[in-house]
Amino acid sequence: MEVFSDVVCPFCGCLCDDLEITVENNKIIKTKNSCAISLSKFMHHEDNRLNYPTVDGRRTDLVEAINESAKILASAKRPLIYGLSSTECEAINRSIELAELIGGVIDSTASVCHGPTIITEQSIGLIKSTLGEIKNRADLIIFWGSNPTESHLRHLTRYSMFPTGLFTPEGRKNRFIVAVDVRKTKLSRIVDLFLEIEPNKDFELISALRAIVRGVKIEAEQVSGIPINILKELAERMKKARFGVVFYGLGLTQSEMGDMNVNAAVGLVSDLNHHTKFVILPMRGHFNVAGANTVSSWLSGYPFAIDYSRGYSRYNPGEFTAVDLLERKEADAALIIASDPVAHFPASAVEHLTKIPLITIDQKVNMTTLLSRIVIPAATVGIEADGTAYRMDGIPIRLKKIIEPSEGILPDSEILKMMIDKIRVLKGGY
Amino acid sequence: MEVFLKPKVKPLIPVEAEVLTPDRFAGMKLSEIEGLPVYVGNRVEKLSDYFELEGSISEKPADQQITILGDASRIKYIGYGMTAGRILVEGGAGMHLGSHMSGGEIVVKGNASDWAGAEMSGGLISILGNTGDLLGSAYRGSREGMTGGCIIVKGNAGIESGIFMRRGTIVVEGEIGSFAGAHMNGGAIFIFGKASRGVGAEMRGNGSMIVCFKGVDSLLPTFIYNTIYKPNFMRIYLKFLFNTLKIDKAGEYFETPFKRYVGDAAVGGDGEIFIAET
Repeated sequence: MEVFSDVVCPFCGCLCDDLEITVENNKIIKTKNSCAISLSKFMHHEDNRLNYPTVDGRRTDLVEAINESAKILASAKRPLIYGLSSTECEAINRSIELAELIGGVIDSTASVCHGPTIITEQSIGLIKSTLGEIKNRADLIIFWGSNPTESHLRHLTRYSMFPTGLFTPEGRKNRFIVAVDVRKTKLSRIVDLFLEIEPNKDFELISALRAIVRGVKIEAEQVSGIPINILKELAERMKKARFGVVFYGLGLTQSEMGDMNVNAAVGLVSDLNHHTKFVILPMRGHFNVAGANTVSSWLSGYPFAIDYSRGYSRYNPGEFTAVDLLERKEADAALIIASDPVAHFPASAVEHLTKIPLITIDQKVNMTTLLSRIVIPAATVGIEADGTAYRMDGIPIRLKKIIEPSEGILPDSEILKMMIDKIRVLKGGY
Repeated sequence: MEVFLKPKVKPLIPVEAEVLTPDRFAGMKLSEIEGLPVYVGNRVEKLSDYFELEGSISEKPADQQITILGDASRIKYIGYGMTAGRILVEGGAGMHLGSHMSGGEIVVKGNASDWAGAEMSGGLISILGNTGDLLGSAYRGSREGMTGGCIIVKGNAGIESGIFMRRGTIVVEGEIGSFAGAHMNGGAIFIFGKASRGVGAEMRGNGSMIVCFKGVDSLLPTFIYNTIYKPNFMRIYLKFLFNTLKIDKAGEYFETPFKRYVGDAAVGGDGEIFIAET
């Protein structure tokens, strides 16, 4: 029996790094410090696994699956590579190398979650800090369109609501917590102020707050269902805070006109920095979606929605994003890495995905693997393979390998390297 | 002089054909134009793979008309960066129509797609059908959209039309999608149909103006009501639209009073939204 300490959980963007995992005979038998989701991820990582590669539903060996995949990708005119957020940075690195090699389009799951965040980050910047700084300093925390009690289970206890810090010695007592959402949630019951706003009216509310912070008199009696005097109180509280934070989730990015919502929220935080210290952080979902954007940015210059068809990188969300590309029936082959677009994309996009040669690299059976022409099983990153992942605040953390994968099961990065090598041979050594 | 392009096939993968400009065609032989490169996915193909060409070529771009006899809705970048001449598309046009153009005229009889006239600095685009999103806008990451010229849409326009607009004129005779003229910092948008939510959001001013003739779905709370009046300059604008740009609907509003709103107060802007009081 072996106990691994300081294990990093490869599930959500919190990347909790204080887990203790007990392993016996290459099996995980116990976890400590994990949340319910993390517990399930570690204890059930062997369930529902893909055990061997398949081509057209027929069991085959890895070499044949790689060769077949290479043939499809090397001959495709408009190949799409999608996924990336649930694997480590080396595999993301190789995926971008592959996209450049085959002249394809590469996109990560950010395009259907925090894409608007990234667009805003590029256009006006994002005033961020680390979660450690927030834990130690923040006295006003606003959760906007995000509910960590369901999505990031240890966020409240480790970073935002309850922990004691250098300048927050009394933990929860030192913090004023606000939640903004379209419905009551578990979080709304434990905060100091809850604003239940009308759906798709976030932009109006943020704009009104910005104007009030600037000292403008708003004529309307209420905005987005919230009385103006409550907004005035909140604006005052924001200006007087010692260190304020806005954590926002898909409620802001995926409601109507998410890019404008995030733009306004970042603008509000920027304005508040004339009065006090204020930061804004996206609640990133997948454990390495931040890494997918970071690695992609340093390699290609762009965070997502990148087209290599002309040999150099071009960026245009809406044109090169996976859902738009598929809805317009542009792609003629697709490689999915560590993602399940068939379960999550709109039907119109999935319909085209089922009509083109589909290659999937994943650990488990999912709806995409069921519809794929070629399926290649991979080792689970953070359990059976090591690698680097980026936390939601942009801190890189090394994931640990705690058990050996089954025989013949390789990590994503090695599978992709084999694929790249084979495609180079098919393209005459290019 | 006029050259006719007859589409041969409807491509499954969109064709990027920024060569479709009078500037590129002028002074070339027809056989040379047929061999111009177009980009289809990761392959480079020839213009003649997608179009049959006939007609005559002029020496100067200004004397050249390019007529596409059919649907070009899967052809991107028609008229990209053109400086002079005329392009007529009998059917629909694909993405990035006339983007970065600085002169000349484009007429599309069908619908146009997204990013029509994006970051254009001069010239005239007339779209007789509907257009997609981000009409006359800035590309992501850029702080300046349309900096000059004029776009007329007879049908409806999509969301985020005219975002980051810096100069120039957009006229939409139908309805316009949400957040038209967001971040606008100059220029004028005339909306003869109904305007949707978020019109003029984060508008900074610098003489920028949005005129809504059929009201707004919901005006942002950060636009401050000012007055109701009949501005003289509006009549001059409307006469220009009516007489020069042949917008018949403009003739109905010569004597109409307008409500004036100033904003966006969220960013300290002093742009104007005029809503016709009919």
